[in-house]
Formats: sequence, C-alpha cells, structure tokens
Amino acid sequence: MQEKVKEWLEQGRVDIFLGYKMVEGHPLPHSFTKDNIDEVKDLVTSSARYSLEKIATKIAAQKPDIKIGLIARDCNERALNVLHIWKQLNSDNIETINVNCCPSRIKEHADCSYLEPEKPGAYKKTVGIENNADVEDIEKFSQEELFKRWMYELQKCIKCYGCRDICPVCFCKECTMDSPELVATGGDLPPEVPIFHLVRAVHMGGRCIDCGLCEDACPVDIPLRMLYRKVNGIVADVFDYKTGVSADQSPFNILGEKVTLQPKPI
Amino acid sequence: MDYKNIPSVCSYCGCGCGVLFQVMDGRLTGTLPLKTHPVNEGRLCIKGWNLHEHATSDRRLTSSMIKKDGQLQGASLDEAVKTTAERLKGIIDQYGPDSVGVLASAKVTNEENYLIQKITRAVIGTNNVDHCARL
Ligand code: SF4
Ligand code: SF4
Ligand code: SF4
Ligand code: SF4
Repeated sequence: MQEKVKEWLEQGRVDIFLGYKMVEGHPLPHSFTKDNIDEVKDLVTSSARYSLEKIATKIAAQKPDIKIGLIARDCNERALNVLHIWKQLNSDNIETINVNCCPSRIKEHADCSYLEPEKPGAYKKTVGIENNADVEDIEKFSQEELFKRWMYELQKCIKCYGCRDICPVCFCKECTMDSPELVATGGDLPPEVPIFHLVRAVHMGGRCIDCGLCEDACPVDIPLRMLYRKVNGIVADVFDYKTGVSADQSPFNILGEKVTLQPKPI
Repeated sequence: MDYKNIPSVCSYCGCGCGVLFQVMDGRLTGTLPLKTHPVNEGRLCIKGWNLHEHATSDRRLTSSMIKKDGQLQGASLDEAVKTTAERLKGIIDQYGPDSVGVLASAKVTNEENYLIQKITRAVIGTNNVDHCARL
C-alpha cells in the first residue's frame, strides 16, 4: 500500500492521500502529500474509523480540482457513491485503495472497531431497543410498546448533533436541524424529541449508507441506524433503490437531466 | 493544500474529552472526537463539537479591557494589571479579603487555573475561588 501511495503522489495521480498515521499511540487520520513523501512509510490502516470521505468533501469544497486518494473500506466506498451522486465529490478526482472492513450484515470477516455487537444491559433490554437487533425483530412488539421503547431511547438525546456532524452524507450547507424556519422546534432550537430524530431519519432515506458512525458517536447509545435502516427499507421497497451500492442516480436526486422520482411498478 | 489533524483535549469542562482539530491551510476549521481517547471513546457533547467556533469567533477578546465611563474599552495589559491591582488593594484595605471572590475559567489551562487559585489564596487572602466547570 505504501509503495502504491508513494507512486501515486510522485506521479501526480493524486495531490493528497488520506490515510492514517500513529501519533502517540493513537491512529489519526493523516494527509500525505508529495511535500512530505517520507512520511508515507508511516501510513497505516486503522481499526478506529474516521470518515476520510467527509474530510475529502471538506477539502474538495475549498479546492474543487484537487485529486484526492484515500483508504476505503466498504462503508467509505458506499459513502463515496452517495457523495458522487450528490455532486459533493467529483468521481474523476477520487482514487481509493480498498482495505479490509468491519464485520457487518454484509461482510463477516473484517477487522475494525465498532460493529462487533455490544451486549445490551438488562435495563435496556426491558425498556429500550437493542442496538444490534433487526428491524423485523423489534417490529414484533405491539405499536404501543414499540412507541414507549423508542421514546425511552430518544428522550436520552443530549442534542450534541454528533450524529449529524460525523455523518459522511450529511453535507447540507444549511441543515434543517439548525433552521427554525424548516423544522417545528416546539419553541427554541434544537428541535424536540422525537422530531429531531424523525426529521433526520427522513433525510437519510436514499442517503444513509449504514456505516454506523452516528451510532458510534452517540453519547447515549440510541439505536439510530435502526431508524435509518427502516426508512431505507421503505426506499428499497418503493423505488427499488439500494442506497450507496452504486453511483447510479438516486430517485431523490433532482439535479441532472431528468426527474427520476418514480415508484417501482407494484 | 495543507490539511492536518491536531490532537488536543477539550477545555470546556472537567471531563477532558479527546478531540482532533482540523486545520486547513493553517486555519482551524473543525473539531472531531478522538475515537481512541479513553475518556470519550469518540463521543463529544455539543460544546466539544464546536470548540473551533470558540477559537475563531470574532467576538473573542483580543485585548485587555477596562471599564471606563461605564463602558468596556480596550487597554494595554500593563494598564489593566495596574488598575486591577490598585482597585483590589483598595477594596481589600477597606472591606477585608473576604469581600473579594474570584471565578476561574474553563478556557484557560490547568496550570493557569492553579495560578488563579494561588493568587486568590496567597495574595488576596481569601478562599472565595470557584470555577464554572467544577464538576
Ligand atoms: S449510519 Fe449514520 S453516519 Fe452512517 S450514513 Fe447512516 S446516518 Fe450517516
Ligand atoms: S440532518 Fe438533514 S439537513 Fe441536516 S445535514 Fe443531514 S441531511 Fe442535511
Ligand atoms: S448523537 Fe445521539 S445524543 Fe447526540 S444528537 Fe444525535 S441522537 Fe442525540
Ligand atoms: S465540554 Fe463536552 S466535549 Fe468538552 S470535555 Fe466536557 S463533556 Fe467532553
């Protein structure tokens, strides 16, 4: 990998390469460039996941023509697809080096941080929703019970906005969650529970690539991905569209030549 | 294009969460949680997430201020120190050291806070010292 990155930088195939470097025992996202080419020997993969593609989006917003290379696991690749579709990154300017990824429903063998299920505590089992359950599992609860359990989870929210801030596909210049004109706030910002979570869940339809970074960043362990899996299940059923799997036009994307918002024939 | 992540510690409260400052071409543009930090394990509260805004805010004071004619006005550091010392001395002489209370800040370093309590106890002579983030 290091050889390849060195070659890419030297030949100008990429201007900057986003990977990881160990700094005082912590794997930190690091940008490698031609000017510090000797550092490439320190390039490593990391079991702690940072959204390198979100960093790439930030850099590209400043320098649209810059060629960016990055280490990509499956989740990074899926996020890149969405970012290409939504014109946040130009696919011609992005090069990836694929590395092994996290154990998930999609991929069993892998080696990174989060997705090994954590055992939920007894209290959470009784009144809340297990983060690693399936949508189908929790839908076995009665409506009333399910509502109670969701409200238990959602009322823990401390409105850190971490779920949005860390999300690779939350790139809006003006976020609804910050705009009293766009969201019923029940008074002041931030919006109340559960409006905050439900509005964000709707936005994740056709966007969320199920990387789990939001849940990883949530200080109070709310099973956020479950909400987004549910909306994306609906998107898959209605539009026959699997978010992040390819860089094909999204049914929600009205930029471009034609409107594609078409339900699939039933 | 120069992009760096600088590891640091959140200075907003006593938890001491690990953060990464995103620096682009020498400008502080964002804050990320440090995933491998033992305190926060990749999580932050809203203050931590917005640390960079504090540092880059245009409302941030860039000089010492003294209240003159009922209004805060810019002043040199020497002038500010001299005025503060004179006023403190006057108040202590007249009402005693316990008439003074000192509030320290979460936005200075631990060492500076140590010095603040030291000056309060040893120089002013009171135990009236507290901190906004005394968790
Ligand atoms: S799992 Fe969370 S962080 Fe990842 S894309 Fe979906 S909403 Fe964003
Ligand atoms: S929460 Fe919604 S509005 Fe806010 S950045 Fe994400 S997608 Fe955009
Ligand atoms: S990360 Fe969790 S606590 Fe923070 S705003 Fe999102 S749901 Fe709420
Ligand atoms: S203010 Fe928030 S982010 Fe900062 S140290 Fe305290 S809990 Fe952590």
